[in-house]
Amino acid sequence: MTTPLSVRALRGFLCLAFLGLGACGQKEAPPPDAATIAALRPADPRLAEIYAASCLACHTMADSGAPLTGDGEQWKPRLNKGMSVLLKNVVEGVNGMPAGGQCFACTPEDYTALILFMSQPPR
Amino acid sequence: MMVSRRSLFLGMAGVAAVAGAGGWAASRVGVQPEPPAPPGQDEAGRLLWRNWSGIQTAYPAQRAAPGSEGELAALVRTAPGPLRAVGSGHSFMPLVPTPGTLVTLDRMTGLISHDKATSTAVAWGGTRLADLGAALAGIGQEMPNLPDINKQSLAGATATGTHGTGATLPALHGNITALRLVTGRGDILDCDVARNAELFQAARLGLGAFGIVTQVTLQNSPLKRVERNVWLQPLEQTLADWPRLHQAHRNIEFYYLPFTDMTAVITHDETDEPATVRPPAQDNEALLDLKKLRDWLGWSPALRRRVARQVMSGLEPERVVDESWRLLSNERPVRFNEMEFHLPLEAQVGALQEVIAAIEGQRNDVFFPIEARIVAPDDAWLSPFQGRMTGSIAVHAYYKDQYDFLYQLVEPIMRRHGGRPHWGKLNSLKRADFAALYPRFNDAAELRRQMDPEGRFLNDYLRGVFADA
Ligand SMILES: Cc1cc2nc3c(=O)[nH]c(=O)nc-3n(C[C@H](O)[C@H](O)[C@H](O)COP(=O)(O)OP(=O)(O)OC[C@H]3O[C@@H](n4cnc5c(N)ncnc54)[C@H](O)[C@@H]3O)c2cc1C
Repeated sequence: MTTPLSVRALRGFLCLAFLGLGACGQKEAPPPDAATIAALRPADPRLAEIYAASCLACHTMADSGAPLTGDGEQWKPRLNKGMSVLLKNVVEGVNGMPAGGQCFACTPEDYTALILFMSQPPR
Repeated sequence: MMVSRRSLFLGMAGVAAVAGAGGWAASRVGVQPEPPAPPGQDEAGRLLWRNWSGIQTAYPAQRAAPGSEGELAALVRTAPGPLRAVGSGHSFMPLVPTPGTLVTLDRMTGLISHDKATSTAVAWGGTRLADLGAALAGIGQEMPNLPDINKQSLAGATATGTHGTGATLPALHGNITALRLVTGRGDILDCDVARNAELFQAARLGLGAFGIVTQVTLQNSPLKRVERNVWLQPLEQTLADWPRLHQAHRNIEFYYLPFTDMTAVITHDETDEPATVRPPAQDNEALLDLKKLRDWLGWSPALRRRVARQVMSGLEPERVVDESWRLLSNERPVRFNEMEFHLPLEAQVGALQEVIAAIEGQRNDVFFPIEARIVAPDDAWLSPFQGRMTGSIAVHAYYKDQYDFLYQLVEPIMRRHGGRPHWGKLNSLKRADFAALYPRFNDAAELRRQMDPEGRFLNDYLRGVFADA
């Protein structure tokens, strides 16, 4: 099943594609507070369901060591590796990140869209 | 002033760094590489599935996330077999891998109903324990016994006998009063002590071999606040005091910190005190500092011990108050492999002493704390806690380290002391061993065959466990 990328995710993807070229042209946002992080959800309902079941438990908990949803600064060094590396890390697992990111029916497209959602600061 | 475990271990790491210079050649200092990963896809383009620790892998032909019991029943009848349910993939044993269909209940989650008067609640099997804790708190209930983490799904956790600790508290499946499952024939059955009673006794802890559990009714307790205390004391003192300690506290466990002679004791007791702020978790840093101590001083157990004791002396305990479900489970971002055996309580201390002596005599590379817990009996047919008060011992290995010593050194000791393995954790037992350990094992195997005559739920590992004689 393919996932429709939300407009926000698409913007995120364009930023990502031109990372390092200043294409996003935005100032660093301060990290969102815990309540904001906890409330963030993907716009797409199916992605929101997957996110709540599989990603949220670690990516909204500072103690988990996972980069927090909406905290662009934490995601930047990861995004800098390129989406293909991130995707490989999600599928195979790396450090504290278990393989598959706890989503066992996700497609690579789902993972990509979820990474893009989690790595974008809230607007 | 309260000294946190973080400052304790950070101090230790500093000393270790200085003291380590002498043993450089024999130390493990440096970046340990990730263990080699299997390909992300197989030749047929099927995506990799891997368990939490990374040692179990599969390339399922199909992955399904049914949204209803009807959809699931249709799937069981038609999808390529074997069908294996996956919860959160946190088991260390090859229970989940399948070349056929991997089924997740991620779309069948949340509370279904509850009864305030009896403190019971019905939840979907796919509900993760973290979400369940929050949902139960919302209706004034709690599960009084929870495992060390809360990432597991309800059905996945109970399927292997997941437990917490406390002399009066059974494992999670011990508080299941009813369940609904989809059998290998695609039938939807309700089970409890009156309806399909034998299936109930087998499927409460059923390894996903008796059916895919969709709904679970839990006997919970009224929501409580608990006071959590953590303190360090010498192993000798903890072992001598263990009978008194486990009588005195609702939830209690201790960790032995290898090559230190010290234990961290953790208790939770009900209280009416107001909640305190929970400080950021320190366990992860503490663990990595124990690793540093291993990396730097592993070559000299005597020095490692001396440095550890020096830094640990004079520390004050940690105290936190909050709702039980918030405190009992922790974040575990450092991955590991694990073996845990459940022993008759009276054998626990002796077995632990033997395990410690074996590890400290032969495996300087071990740094993960060794965990001791206590679990009340229940009567599920495949329950390791069946019919006896249980003392559990769990030994861990960092996911980048070798874990063969668990089989070579630890398992023989556990078995000699009458241990039954945790179904989800590393062990090398086979059908005959299980038949000897569980009085109803053959009944369970026969019932499994009746429920699933075509072996729709049997993967290679489970075929070995239940293979018809
Ligand atoms: C970091 C960590 C900490 C842990 N701490 C503890 C602890 O404190 N105490 C403890 O006892 N254990 C502990 N465990 C072990 C863990 O609780 C068990 O292995 C548990 O079974 C994992 O649950 P899961 O949801 O990940 O299930 P999985 O590992 O995905 O599956 C386990 C079994 O459940 C079956 N299953 C899944 N869903 C269903 C369903 N709907 N119907 C029927 N069968 C199903 C699977 O087929 C499989 O046989 C820990 C594991 C890890 C990795």
